[in-house]
Amino acid sequence: MDPDTDVRRVPGSRRIRSYWPQYLAISPFFLIFAVFGLFPVLFSLYLAFHRWDGFGEMEFVGLQQFRYVLDDGTFWLSMRNTFIIWVISTVPMLAMALVIAAMLNSTKRFSAFYRVAYFIPNITSLVAVAIFFGAVFSTNFGLVNAVLQAVGLPTGRWLTDPLGMKIAVATVMTWQWTGYNAIIYLAGMQTIPSDVYEAAKIDGAGPVQTFFRITIPMLRPIILFTVIVSTVSGLQSFTEPQVLFGTNTTLNPNTGGPGQGALTMVLYFYHQAFDNRDFGYGAAIAWVVFAVIALFAAINWRLVQRREK
Amino acid sequence: MELSRRRILRLGMLGMAGAALGGTASCSTSASGGSSAGGNALDLWYWADGLSKKVVDEAITRFTEVELKPQQIGGNFKEKLVTTMSSGGEFIPDITGIKGEDFASFTPQSDRFLNLLDLGAGSIADQYLPWKWKKGMTKDGKLIGFPIDIGPTAMFYRRDVFAEAGLPSEPAAVAAQMSTWEDYFAAGVELKKARADAFMISETWAVFNLIVGQGTARYVDENERFIGDQDHIRRAWDLATSTIALGINAKSQANTPDWNAGLTSGSLSTLTGAAWAAIDIKSAAAGTAGKWGVAAGPGGAANIGGSFLAIPKECAKPDVAFKIISWILSPENQARGFTDSALFPSTPATYTAPALTAPDPFFGGQITTEVFGPSAEKIPVQYESPNDQAVSAPFQTELTNVESSGKDPNAAWADAVAEAKKIGQRLGLS
Amino acid sequence: MRGAAVRTRPIVGAKRPRGLLRHLFLLAGVVVSLFPFYWMIVMATNTTSAIYRYPPTLTIGSELWTNIAHVFEKIPFFAAMGNTIVVAVSTTVLVLFFDSLAAFTFAKFEFPGRRALFGLLIAMFMLPAQLSLIPQFLVMVQFGWAGQLQALIVPAAANAFGIFWMRQYITGAVPDELLDAARLDGCGFFRQYWHVALPVIRPGLAFLGIYTFIMAWNDYVWPLIVLVDPDRLTLQVALSQLNRSYGQDYSMIMAGALLSVLPLVIMFTVFARGFIADAVKGAVRG
Repeated sequence: MDPDTDVRRVPGSRRIRSYWPQYLAISPFFLIFAVFGLFPVLFSLYLAFHRWDGFGEMEFVGLQQFRYVLDDGTFWLSMRNTFIIWVISTVPMLAMALVIAAMLNSTKRFSAFYRVAYFIPNITSLVAVAIFFGAVFSTNFGLVNAVLQAVGLPTGRWLTDPLGMKIAVATVMTWQWTGYNAIIYLAGMQTIPSDVYEAAKIDGAGPVQTFFRITIPMLRPIILFTVIVSTVSGLQSFTEPQVLFGTNTTLNPNTGGPGQGALTMVLYFYHQAFDNRDFGYGAAIAWVVFAVIALFAAINWRLVQRREK
Repeated sequence: MELSRRRILRLGMLGMAGAALGGTASCSTSASGGSSAGGNALDLWYWADGLSKKVVDEAITRFTEVELKPQQIGGNFKEKLVTTMSSGGEFIPDITGIKGEDFASFTPQSDRFLNLLDLGAGSIADQYLPWKWKKGMTKDGKLIGFPIDIGPTAMFYRRDVFAEAGLPSEPAAVAAQMSTWEDYFAAGVELKKARADAFMISETWAVFNLIVGQGTARYVDENERFIGDQDHIRRAWDLATSTIALGINAKSQANTPDWNAGLTSGSLSTLTGAAWAAIDIKSAAAGTAGKWGVAAGPGGAANIGGSFLAIPKECAKPDVAFKIISWILSPENQARGFTDSALFPSTPATYTAPALTAPDPFFGGQITTEVFGPSAEKIPVQYESPNDQAVSAPFQTELTNVESSGKDPNAAWADAVAEAKKIGQRLGLS
Repeated sequence: MRGAAVRTRPIVGAKRPRGLLRHLFLLAGVVVSLFPFYWMIVMATNTTSAIYRYPPTLTIGSELWTNIAHVFEKIPFFAAMGNTIVVAVSTTVLVLFFDSLAAFTFAKFEFPGRRALFGLLIAMFMLPAQLSLIPQFLVMVQFGWAGQLQALIVPAAANAFGIFWMRQYITGAVPDELLDAARLDGCGFFRQYWHVALPVIRPGLAFLGIYTFIMAWNDYVWPLIVLVDPDRLTLQVALSQLNRSYGQDYSMIMAGALLSVLPLVIMFTVFARGFIADAVKGAVRG
């Protein structure tokens, strides 16, 4: 894959100097990060060892905030919630996106229209989305319960039951990001040379075989990208539960709705840092969240990579 | 404090970004004139409809000794204010709004704000409701929040539904029959008998929060001791959860489609809440105009919401700033605040102004101030700790567990108290 | 190995029904995707109480101009849109260039520290963004950039998301043989990027461009903090001023939201087609 794989790990300034075009090419990101990103990162790490309310004295407390996080049942609840929401949103989202992309890829007519239409959820106002899905999942007047009732299934209290709330949040996320992932896959599928498909057709492969034997293997780098991005953004989910369940009350907003059923990790961080102005505790939570995400993303990376072989 | 943080900042930037960056930073620091151009500007931060825009605009032309620059801040106001104040610099507004529910959390940093008593606020204190005035003070008697509006509570009810169920429908009679929570719930049971789909209570938390607000103590006392496990909170808990067993609780959260539909159909036949809740009812159930009434609520008066104006210590011209504040929030201008932005005045003299004594056709031509005015004057003085919100969160969560998952109220109470104590311990309460 | 022969029964005929089924499926997805957007239009063209009514109003009303007039009355809409265009366009141009160049390097070249630097880049992507609000504001105050549009543009000019995306895309889209050939012809690093890679990665760039533009257009949390000058706001910050503390006027809010996303829809409609068509040509040529 890499043309210059014969690099030996000999650190020498002459060697390094010969790579100046490469370092120059990647420098903008790292420069911007050094100027604008590094200080916030170090600052928040520093904060995690202190108590701070945003503008009073900082008080050094050592590892105490981390001890509180690990002992905080609400934090563990938020982690459980986050993972449940992540699983029930990401899996159907990526699967559907792949199918939609494959269909779009073999469609000539209306394809520009489809692309625009599938991207629209990404630019629909979140307030509108929250009101809309609030109505869809409403107990007595919602579309979901009306349909369930019509086909004779038991209805649910989607906006107050802990599992129902997670399903509602996951539905919003799936709705919003499926088209986006489909567009990503579609962009990737355009790089698969058409003669590969031709060859498969000559061999008599149907669309399903072509999909599994050609499209998916050749799309692997892109699939890895979507898996990692949806892992990171899914485990950082914040906006959807906030707009669906955050604004019901002036006192204690952002606590994740009834029974904290939709309290995600980042929402809990936000609540501690910005509602309670407990910035030290918030920072400690955020770093634990970071560790969880990094670990989980690494696992996913390994899983997708290994299948590549 | 700010100095040390700035030092960290310089250190960080120096270490990471090297000389080129240091150059940029120092060059722009010296050049930064800030947004307050001219030095005569006075920035005023508030949120949409947090003050009457007309009054604020008039203040610009009236106080020409400064250039008053009002700015409406959208989004999370507290987040913006805290972030800006933590920078400790030139972008801090000269006058800022603070929402009532956030106010207590600012009192530990009262030295970041000016004591308005030093600016002559004492001479106009008697124009404002004493409990609201006290709420704007710190424990050691500094006034840092100047009263904008308040949220006196009452009971909104459907006259037609009450009449059909054989309950009284005139405000005075309603208030007389349902003066205690127990009587109110009993009427709810009666109502339910007459109309099977009618509920007296919308949600458990609303009742609980209101009962807590009617008392003289909340979750934390003035010595920063956790008292949320004591009888006054337990009583609120028992009363609120009893509505579920009685079957008079609709379990429907405010501003959801179920709630809107309930208000329209009459199945949600009463709502206990602050004066500003009338706006929600009016837009949620526009078709029911004329069918509503307002009566003094069960269990006494409480305040929900409201807000303050404060002057950060960085203010360039404190005297003028205070002059502007006291003019914007004078009794006459509070009447305009009520008309323009539905801000319920914190000045009792305003309750007899024409703007507040107009009959409201939505409430069957009732003069609602005749209910909210007396309620406002009866609101108890309560100590609200900076940590009050944080320790109240578990009670809210566990009440929703009782409400939506059928958790046993006693088990939920034990869990709420245990969790609140744990949070209190982390925050340094005793 | 990848394109290995797959032996199965040949599929005969049935071409038309399958095409029709596919369109039916895709259309169902379109309806689901578009309906909330349609409902946004419904809200923007009705009154707030009509939205609350049960059964809900589902048809387009006649209040749009009234609602839009309210928006214009309350916020400096066009000035804010001008600022937003400046921010979104400059961010997008910078991101497209910086990210694709860095991604090309990470995807196709080996150099000391490559893995570590890429790992650092991915790690930065995993920190919750809200964590940085306060320290980042402190940095901007120190720079004298608080309230300036560059406080939005410069920190966003290169990002881990885009580099990661373009790296994955380039891995599949730019054949190594092509680069080898270019190298034999004496092309240096930057000419390989410009003449060989760029033409074939247009679809990847198109996605990144549209995505970056939308993100910059709709960004809200950070601008709300850093834009301290009331005369210099972006659209989302201005729109947030339409929220009141008591009783929301949703139809006005939706009218504002609708106006603010229309340029995005138009841009996407115009560019989505052109970008992709070009790209396919490019890929074929490559």
